[in-house]
Amino acid sequence: MLIRPRLTDHFGVMVPQAELDFAIPFLNEDIPLYLDPFLLWRSPSQQDQALHTSLINAFNHLGYLAKQGKDEKAIGILVSASECDEVGLGSSLKRQGKRIGKAKAAEILSLFKTMSHYANRGFRHFEEIQFFVDGISKDRISDISCSFLKSFLIDFTMDQCARLGIPTSPSRISDVYDYRKNEFVVQEGVSVPVSPVDGKPVIFVPKRWLRFTPWINYNDYFEHHCPQDELSHAAEDLTRVAVLNYNRDHYGVVEDYVSAKERKFEDCHNNPLFSQIPITSARRKLALIKKLPTGKAGNADRIYEDTIGELLPSLLYPKLDFADVQSRTDSGVSIRDLIFYNSRTDQFLSEIFKDYGSRQIVMEMKNVAAIEREHIDQLNRYLADELGKFGVIVTRHPLKKAEFTRTVDLWSGQRKAIIALTDSDIDQMVEVFESKQREPLDIIIKKYVEYRRACP
Amino acid sequence: MKSEKDIENLERVMGQLDALHIEISQLAKKSPNDGVNKFKLKLINKLIGTANEVLGDDYRPFSEFNLFDEDDLPTNSDVTLIVGQYLEQCERFRSDNIEYFNYKWYYVLGGKRSKVLATAPTKIGGKK
Repeated sequence: MLIRPRLTDHFGVMVPQAELDFAIPFLNEDIPLYLDPFLLWRSPSQQDQALHTSLINAFNHLGYLAKQGKDEKAIGILVSASECDEVGLGSSLKRQGKRIGKAKAAEILSLFKTMSHYANRGFRHFEEIQFFVDGISKDRISDISCSFLKSFLIDFTMDQCARLGIPTSPSRISDVYDYRKNEFVVQEGVSVPVSPVDGKPVIFVPKRWLRFTPWINYNDYFEHHCPQDELSHAAEDLTRVAVLNYNRDHYGVVEDYVSAKERKFEDCHNNPLFSQIPITSARRKLALIKKLPTGKAGNADRIYEDTIGELLPSLLYPKLDFADVQSRTDSGVSIRDLIFYNSRTDQFLSEIFKDYGSRQIVMEMKNVAAIEREHIDQLNRYLADELGKFGVIVTRHPLKKAEFTRTVDLWSGQRKAIIALTDSDIDQMVEVFESKQREPLDIIIKKYVEYRRACP
Repeated sequence: MKSEKDIENLERVMGQLDALHIEISQLAKKSPNDGVNKFKLKLINKLIGTANEVLGDDYRPFSEFNLFDEDDLPTNSDVTLIVGQYLEQCERFRSDNIEYFNYKWYYVLGGKRSKVLATAPTKIGGKK
């Protein structure tokens, strides 16, 4: 069983996240990023700007409908737009979200009637609805954007699938916005990938549009622009609803905030799913590891695991994408592993996949004075199925001769490979991470080559 | 050594090894544990390969060492150590192939003193 499986891993596409144009969807959970419509607005690309215009036009059309007295139709469209499960963005653990209710949709639409600015000119950035309606936040903004842009996203997905050779199947996709009819329609026979978990269609989103929080967001407004003293002299009395009500009566404050954010548009960038720690931070973490005693005294084991857990994913990026920290128990002993996706971008990684069947690479962290027989046995028992037969023990000191022989015997008997990364290896990895003379992955290759030379 | 070409090869490889040693020693002082990048390693191996040819089996510093393996991730200090050893052996080889005559040092080619002047062996006062 793969840990935190991704769609590309399932289909055997060997490209790391850093080299792909879209955020790779997980099979069982959402990607913790959100589509920020501001990134389309600020993009230098005419296509992105045009898509932002069409998104805003589609949203403002709801206001037009509301003003025409077609509230029911507008509410229906907004409710449909409020969730877009195919893209799998957000924080859901099941890749499934809930739509907004009709009452909430009506509340949003009421902005087109009650606020003269929107009634006359419509929205320039529809994210502004979070400043007036409670319960609307980044996930909803992201989902509404995805729903209105779904037709483009389908084309983008089809293009990416064709380029990468990701298998697709004709699927039925509901709630695709028809820009000509200004309503959602169902499209049949759309060639997109389907999730092997539930058979539902999956749509990719360009990673250049994704951020952890939208550029225009309520928390930023509340902290830096909202005149809190004017609303309430006692900070604890200042509720979100009070702020939202204030905003309705003082649109100028919101307008100033949005204008300020527009002026600073050059600072607005997409967030990568994973970003490396800086070199100075890597040096500090290495110094912390070197000072740590072995064993469990003073929570040293936990600190060691946490520090290695922060260090290795950065050192090995982008050659290896980090999947997860996994805790498991073996014979009553708690074990923490780092799991990496094997993107097979390197000859060594391809070899590991070919020889040991490692679709993911497991690294077990052990803050012990010496690796004992049972530690090797624990990892040995775990090396099977998709995780493959290659494992790494990250520990403090080199293996004793008996234990090293045991790892060699595992290769002789079962063709399983276990190598050990010690403090001095981590030191060298940080060294090359800083100097950029070699890849930190080369240290793992070196250890593997040394190990294989010892094998019969 | 048999011809003047051999003298030229020896002097060239010694000059290059010397320059390399100075360069890598400085890196090794700063970060001894740092890996040598693949580009440098290719050039270093080319130079060591030439040195192996010039020195032959009798003068090679270590019989089990031939070239650096890229996968072994040699560090700055590894390269400094090996290049230092090669420099020493080149000098030993050179010293064994020169002769003192009439207050001057000459290369010996095919067992006979040639007319090619040499510098004094470093062990008896020659410049390093």
